Amino acid sequence: MKLSGESKFLIGIVLVTVILVIGGIFFLSRPAPAFTCQEILTSDSYKKGNEKARNCLIEFSDFQCPACGSFYPQVKNVVEDNKDNLVFAYRHFPLDQHEQAWPAALAAEAAGEQGKFWEMHDYIFENQENLSEQFLLEAAEKLGLDKENFEAAYKEKKYQDKINRDLTDGRKFGVDATPTFFLNGKKLNLFSRTDLDKAVEEAIKK
Amino acid sequence: MAENIKLTKKVLNRIVFILSIIGVIIAVYVLYGFIKKTSIVCVNEGCEIVRKSPYSYPLGIPVPLVGLIGYFVLMILTFARSVSQDLKLLKAILAIAVFGVLFVGWFTYTEIFYIKAVCTWCAISALNMLIIFIIGLKMYQLERRTK
Repeated sequence: MKLSGESKFLIGIVLVTVILVIGGIFFLSRPAPAFTCQEILTSDSYKKGNEKARNCLIEFSDFQCPACGSFYPQVKNVVEDNKDNLVFAYRHFPLDQHEQAWPAALAAEAAGEQGKFWEMHDYIFENQENLSEQFLLEAAEKLGLDKENFEAAYKEKKYQDKINRDLTDGRKFGVDATPTFFLNGKKLNLFSRTDLDKAVEEAIKK
Repeated sequence: MAENIKLTKKVLNRIVFILSIIGVIIAVYVLYGFIKKTSIVCVNEGCEIVRKSPYSYPLGIPVPLVGLIGYFVLMILTFARSVSQDLKLLKAILAIAVFGVLFVGWFTYTEIFYIKAVCTWCAISALNMLIIFIIGLKMYQLERRTK
């Protein structure tokens, strides 16, 4: 078979495409820059586990994101199982397309003011499908929060700046989806929920 | 005039060839997500919902595999047209494009009315197939005119 000029041109297109695709994959799969725990952990973020531990796991999350909801039990177990060797921090990354993400983040912070951030955090994720402004107000009652103080903090968006700072920090660290986890400063590429367990176990063994 | 038509035919064939390559790339990426059961980067959450739906596996075949085969054959056929002028090649391209349009039409319908979510990549691929079909018709029309 003799190739025509046109055939050679088409082969050229294929070659250029292959080079572009391989280049793209290579570029995208480069390891992301690693940060230190101190850089990603903020003093006022809510933490669990051992704050003096060598290993840190930070989650940038959105209370309304379904994937964050499906990761929630996994994260809770990992943190509980490794509570002596790991400090876990929750940082906000409410996405624009989730209407209830911001109110939920504000409510969690307002609950945090009364020492019940994690209770609110768990309650929201466990009832994620019911998320609404009304639900958040009722949640505060159920958790036994002081209604007046909670509503004042929540409705006046007292912690808006803190959440905005988390968002800005998240973007700075390369967060582009939720949930995004940083283990010892390194962004994790998780393909399944069990990958989180494996990554934490390996980091602790080191 | 004849020169112009010849040039148009060549350009249209090139466009279908490039669109087929784009189709192959999209199908490979989405199929990878289906096989490895990993999330597919998407502008909305539609891709994940569609990926997990049993409707995305007609007769047990993952939908992107159908796309991959279709686009790959289209790519080979358009390449073959740069070597041979056999009208059968063009007819085969058209036949695949007709099947392709029916297939993406059926799948888009299924996405909207049954899965109730639209995967961006599937929508791009559906549009891609529709353009290939339209260009295929145009190429056939030109071929008939010059016969």
